[in-house]
Amino acid sequence: MIGRYRNWLLLGGAALILAAVVAWRLLFLPDALDFAGGTRVPLADYGRSGIAGVPEELAKAEPLARGKYLAEAADCAACHTAKGGRPFSGGRPFKLPFGTIYTPNITPDRETGIGAWTDAEFLRAVHKGIGRNGQRLYPAFPYASYTMLTDADVIAIRRYLGSLAAVRQANLPNTFAFPFNQRWLMAIWGAFFNSDRRFEPVRERSVQWNRGAYLVEAAGHCGECHTPRTLMQAMDTRRKFAGGQAEGWNAYNISGDRLSGIGQWTDAELTEYLAKGHATGRGVASGPMAEAVELSTSRLTHSDITAMVAYLRTIPPVRTKASPAMAGPAPAAASAGPSGNVPGKRIFEGACASCHAWSGRGAITSDQQLTGNRAVNDGSASNVAMMILHGTGGTPERPGAYMPSFAAAYSDTEIADVANYVTARFGAKPSRITASDVKRMREE
Amino acid sequence: MFEISINGNRRQAQVDGDTPLLWVLRDVLGLTGTKFGCGIAQCGACTVHVDGSPVRSCRLPVSAVGARSITTIEGIGASPIGAKVQKAWLDLEVIQCGYCQSGQIMSAVALLEGNSNPDDEAIDAAMSGNICRCGTYVRIREGIKRAANGG
Repeated sequence: MIGRYRNWLLLGGAALILAAVVAWRLLFLPDALDFAGGTRVPLADYGRSGIAGVPEELAKAEPLARGKYLAEAADCAACHTAKGGRPFSGGRPFKLPFGTIYTPNITPDRETGIGAWTDAEFLRAVHKGIGRNGQRLYPAFPYASYTMLTDADVIAIRRYLGSLAAVRQANLPNTFAFPFNQRWLMAIWGAFFNSDRRFEPVRERSVQWNRGAYLVEAAGHCGECHTPRTLMQAMDTRRKFAGGQAEGWNAYNISGDRLSGIGQWTDAELTEYLAKGHATGRGVASGPMAEAVELSTSRLTHSDITAMVAYLRTIPPVRTKASPAMAGPAPAAASAGPSGNVPGKRIFEGACASCHAWSGRGAITSDQQLTGNRAVNDGSASNVAMMILHGTGGTPERPGAYMPSFAAAYSDTEIADVANYVTARFGAKPSRITASDVKRMREE
Repeated sequence: MFEISINGNRRQAQVDGDTPLLWVLRDVLGLTGTKFGCGIAQCGACTVHVDGSPVRSCRLPVSAVGARSITTIEGIGASPIGAKVQKAWLDLEVIQCGYCQSGQIMSAVALLEGNSNPDDEAIDAAMSGNICRCGTYVRIREGIKRAANGG
């Protein structure tokens, strides 16, 4: 009897310890720069300038021009503008597993926007995720990243937003169900997952590296999409930049891993991608990344993009199973590709080959190259199907790479067929998506 | 100012670099044999050859042409295969309304340049991106086969 009791006790103790370890790992995550080691110091103690604020080229610019630059570096416009809506007037939906949330109006309208907010209220929202009336904000607003922005930079952004035309447009309520509609729960989330600390440079690293870190982590909030999320929806910084999701698109691994990440990209390729949204042989920024390039990275100075690249280079490699080694060149002859997917091939020959070519190297311009592209080598075919459905570019704002949307031209089955054909012909891992996958993607 | 080689001649155009080649051909240089169809590289009407490869000129920025030579429908008859295809097209009366046919001929010639005796599958693979509203596809296929067999 006593022996059995002791066994139960031991088992219970082990379970408790396990639960504690799991909870510890879920609740206590490394901060954004922990991977770099070194001594973290307050910005003022670093001794050199050039980490926060605008780059040297803009040091003498008008205050509003500086605020605009910082608002672009933080890419406020992408989320706070609805499709076809007035910039910064909000209303863009984000579909999350718990419901849909709409971004708010951040134009200076006093009733529907943030015109009546004080600077202190604005700072509190950006750094702590607390709204004007004290309500907790959902971390779809990336305050866990923005919390690293300096007060001066947040206020500069606020001044710029305040200079825009006020748009009267009421905010839309989110559709979260219980318990996710309980905003106060976000206070608990924030207590664990929002450091509420301003950017602290690493003393041993250069100004350029720290500037890059500030742009990537604080303003650019790259990790919000490119870092996988934990069960608690926090950025899993133990797998920093190992890839995540954004609005139905896969945000790929941008760690230094040579196979899964960007370890094989040259500095010039990374720079070109961030500046123009395309690096020859690496693919085109599409979906949310196309917006990030259009509205943010393409507007940064060369020195700032160089700093971001220098910082990204130092992210420790994380190998991810979903990102295999990329396939090499594809055959140029139409007959040489994968067999057994006749409908996929038919659609490819009619709708795709005239631009992408049977070799996948691009028939017209280099941005049409399919081989060597991460999306095409992704066995989930998510981004391939999303690209076929939604297309990219074709606007005066995005004059680079262009692809029409085929959503209206083909059925779900046809889009699945051609996506599967593309990954089989040009990629490392043939996909097997179905019409129901495509149906779901249409709704993203 | 861009200088490009078209049908063996050096031609100059004072346009922005992102102007599609099709606009340069039609509006600047007056070579209106190449047609505008969809403007998104989906119909094939604007097909020209860039160093012998069929390319949709509506999506090719003139700045991307560089030193490569362009052949249009106005110049295709100068090549032996081009002449054969044109003759086959006339003999079989392939054309109905004709709007897509300069693109069809350009794609057909490019196919035959690389494959002197294409089967139906190869013809489909090369020609499917050229759409014909009149539905002359059967005669197009016949025309390609006749040209392949000596015209």
